[in-house]
Amino acid sequence: MKNVRVFYRKDGACKYISHLDTNRVMLRAIGKSRLNIWRTEGFNQHAYITFALPLSLGFASECESMDFRILDDDEDLSAIPERMNACLPEGIRVFRCAEAVHKPADIESAKYAVQIEPMNENEISFSELSEKWRDFLSLPEIIVQKKTKKGMKDVDVKPYVLAFEMKEGEKAAFDLTLPAGSTLNINPNLLIDAFAQSVGIELYADITRVGIYIKGGEDFA
Amino acid sequence: MYPETIEKLLLKVQKPGRYVGGEHGEAIKDKRQVDVRFAFCFPDIYEIGMSHLGIKILYSLFNEKPYIWCERVFAPWIDMEEQMRAHDIPLWALESGDPLSDFDFIGFTLQYELSYSNILNMLELGGIPLLSKDRHDLKHIVVAGGPCACNPEPITDFIDIFFLGDGEEVDLEVIELFRACKKEGKSREEFLRLASRIKGVYVPSLYDVTYNDDGTINAVTPRDGAPAVIEKRVMMNMDKSYYPDNFVVPNIEIVHDRAVEEIFRGCIRGCRFCQAGFLYRPVREKSVECISRQTHALCRNTGYDEVSLSSLSSSDYTQVVPMLKELNSWAKPENVSLSLPSLRVDGFSDDILNEIKTVRKSGLTFAPEAGSQRLRDAINKNVFEDELMNTCRVAFEGGYTTVKLYFMIGLPTETMDDVADIANLGKKVLDTFYSTPNRPKGKAPRVTLSASSFVPKPFTPFQWEPQDTMDTLREKQQHIKKSIVDNKISLSKMTYNYHDSDTSYLEAVFARGDRRLNAVMLEAHKKGIRFDGWSDCFSLKNWLEAFEACGIDPAFYANRRRSFDEILPWDHLDYGVTKDFLHRECERAYRSEASPNCREKCLGCGCTKYKGGVCYEKR
Ligand code: SF4
Ligand code: SF4
Repeated sequence: MKNVRVFYRKDGACKYISHLDTNRVMLRAIGKSRLNIWRTEGFNQHAYITFALPLSLGFASECESMDFRILDDDEDLSAIPERMNACLPEGIRVFRCAEAVHKPADIESAKYAVQIEPMNENEISFSELSEKWRDFLSLPEIIVQKKTKKGMKDVDVKPYVLAFEMKEGEKAAFDLTLPAGSTLNINPNLLIDAFAQSVGIELYADITRVGIYIKGGEDFA
Repeated sequence: MYPETIEKLLLKVQKPGRYVGGEHGEAIKDKRQVDVRFAFCFPDIYEIGMSHLGIKILYSLFNEKPYIWCERVFAPWIDMEEQMRAHDIPLWALESGDPLSDFDFIGFTLQYELSYSNILNMLELGGIPLLSKDRHDLKHIVVAGGPCACNPEPITDFIDIFFLGDGEEVDLEVIELFRACKKEGKSREEFLRLASRIKGVYVPSLYDVTYNDDGTINAVTPRDGAPAVIEKRVMMNMDKSYYPDNFVVPNIEIVHDRAVEEIFRGCIRGCRFCQAGFLYRPVREKSVECISRQTHALCRNTGYDEVSLSSLSSSDYTQVVPMLKELNSWAKPENVSLSLPSLRVDGFSDDILNEIKTVRKSGLTFAPEAGSQRLRDAINKNVFEDELMNTCRVAFEGGYTTVKLYFMIGLPTETMDDVADIANLGKKVLDTFYSTPNRPKGKAPRVTLSASSFVPKPFTPFQWEPQDTMDTLREKQQHIKKSIVDNKISLSKMTYNYHDSDTSYLEAVFARGDRRLNAVMLEAHKKGIRFDGWSDCFSLKNWLEAFEACGIDPAFYANRRRSFDEILPWDHLDYGVTKDFLHRECERAYRSEASPNCREKCLGCGCTKYKGGVCYEKR
């Protein structure tokens, strides 16, 4: 038995598959691919798959991963992406399969490529929007309302902005690195919503998760 | 695919996955390479439409033809509709993202009367002129099929063509004709006229209806050589009939998210309230070999690990145990579980239970429909109390603790005593639990009684019957409640649900309505009425205003006893069962007499003319 991790992209129509539904889609793809993977025992048996880091509804990603256990030690892992892709919707493409290196608990941060634009066209120019966003992020503190177990709480998320880089081009686009993982997970929308509120403009954000990292900034593998 | 314009709106609505397509198994074609574009519209939300078997069959059937591209369209939920209207985005098909107005055919499936308002709304959202007479040229042919096509009169102003009966052949014949007419440059009128010559095709605009002073129909007269009687189509050889080997597998959870294999069409029972039992006659079975082959292919191609073996009454399949054994020969090793819905009380045997054990013990569901034996005889629901109790005992011994019983109130010949017997029957099930020695220990039983209101339907022996008024129905609902209390049944062990009688009333009006209701439909649409099947949208008050505005009394359709010699709005449609047979069955109901089923004895309903199926089985 081998612990295997597949890496996949999720975009297009598949951005709108929730985490729970992604689980279902993957189970069916595995069933259809006839990969022989470990199943849970007991009354309601099913193929056992786990996900390192759930992805929010509406986000695209270039670095999703899913773990399962291959029963046959001689299984050719390099053939798995193609086998699974034949069974998956277009918007989910497996590009790599390898034995798992890190533990999901090792994950510390994630990088998001974000593009923002006003919901109603022409409300604000892209250059102005970029400008305002830069100003927003250089504020000494950024207080947002965050849902916690004890209800809504004001938190300063400024220290959580681990890295930030504006991108050249016509659109208001930037990369944002935020804490991620099971202990502390910051959704980029938390910042974007706070920004939208501060400028008083309804925004649309196109968000792609482009990297998941462990301690020291090494790629999660 | 979805139009670019909706990208920004998707995260503002619930379940955006409903609107984007992109599922495994969807048919993507090059629109320049096809001759006919068909928009298959389901007048309800994605999760419901995608659960429907008929759309899966026809979608695959059409798309197997290289010259047709069939796409799916569902009704947008109100939050999405609001966004679409605000941003001027026309309703699109999920495969191409193109608006409805780009299609040659716009096809609706008519599953329930309460979805009619969604049809009008979808046409409007798609930019298609609502009225048939306002659509010109050889495009935008609006067609409809499905059970409600058996009395399509209330929506004849909006639909160009109705398909009666099984769609597998007739739909293609009409598409084929359209293709030829387009090539030859024929007019829309000519195409419709030619289509009306095809068996199973009803072109309502070719019929004139006149009325008597009392509001009943005087005559239905065909024009331009259209047939006086339109016969339904039937697929007689189910093994040879088209069945898909793959489904579009949804990315979001839908109502019935599993593979479905149809094991037979029709029902031998003839319960007198049940329209499906008459519309789909005669019973035609698939062979075990065919079922196993088709099911296996479906599971392999979709990746589903659960199959529902579907029919109107699964345990009536003549080979049910051999079928389950054959299926399990590959299903068990492949971890595929089988489920057998619509089990009858008397069909619940140990043999069957052993083969479908893999199904979760979610509880048992039975439909005695009436509380007393007298009334069950009158409606021809051959469920006997001792059978029900035996089955419950078997189930309790097998570890089940919850039983759900479905009933109808407002049935013809029903008395208050019959109604009270609903609670009594529930109590007997509870008593059975406690008298079963091997019952699950330490667990409390739970019985749910669920009562819906009877709606008289065309092509049933009760097609002439009045529906109880809403007041009477409410009284009966209260009477069940009272009977539960009178029986001193603990409410922790018995739950009683009833369906709103308001929707049943509207359903009754439209089920047996005539062409004058078209005006009401249009008026309702103008008032913004849609999603009548959803309690959060339905408003009887709004509907009553629409009736009022059109000067039409809904009670004329719902609550009036029709005479046996009245010309009914659907009399020119032929579903195989004769009016004479239905009348005989109705008289037997009045005498509280049950009838044998098709396997016990042929009652000569008229369906022998299809030359096959159960009518020709050896008895
Ligand atoms: S058993 Fe009765 S209710 Fe069920 S489908 Fe057959 S006729 Fe209808
Ligand atoms: S003709 Fe006889 S056997 Fe055939 S469907 Fe009718 S009643 Fe049943």
